[in-house]
Amino acid sequence: MSLESQFFLLMKFVIPLYLLAFIIYAIRAFKGPAIVDIILAVDCMSFDIAAFMAILAVYFKSAFLISAAITLALWAYLLDIYIAKHLVSKEVGA
Amino acid sequence: MNEILFYIGAIMIVIGGICDLFGALGLLKFPNFYIRLHAATVGTIGGAVVPLFGVGFLALGSDFLPNKYAIAGASFVTGVIVLLAAPAGAHALAYAAHKAKLVTWEPKVDHLAEVREND
Repeated sequence: MSLESQFFLLMKFVIPLYLLAFIIYAIRAFKGPAIVDIILAVDCMSFDIAAFMAILAVYFKSAFLISAAITLALWAYLLDIYIAKHLVSKEVGA
Repeated sequence: MNEILFYIGAIMIVIGGICDLFGALGLLKFPNFYIRLHAATVGTIGGAVVPLFGVGFLALGSDFLPNKYAIAGASFVTGVIVLLAAPAGAHALAYAAHKAKLVTWEPKVDHLAEVREND
């Protein structure tokens, strides 16, 4: 059994775990009572989509998806910092 | 050697998937925002950093990828970025929620409010 067929057998077990986790994060993001709950759920979902995109880069044998993962991780951090700045001082600023 | 790197990466990806599912369940079931931050840490560090390093090891050990060094290097860089950015962002959100008084909760101790009243 070659390494490639072992990898595709592994993906049959791992991809449903990630998709179920994304659905549960989306439920929390839609029903979150305060705005910080929504931002926390979107933040976790962005970091996990970055990890899932790295797995898909190996799955599809493409190097383009992994550069989008770096951008997505940095964007989630930027979302946190901007929302925190807006909640504390009522403005975003420069 | 290649097989050892491949199996280490596969085990880390499986651990990441399980941590991701448990972090999502905790984020759904826990009662208020400050307790949900704990589940968010499980979901980001266990569910994003560990499988990113796992993808790096798996891509280094695989023999079927055409550009495995690009995928492995970018996976390690993304893992380090998430490892640094996720706790900083979660801490900024917790500070902002406490300062803007957005969350109703019943604290046993609140050291941040005590320090701020003494200032």
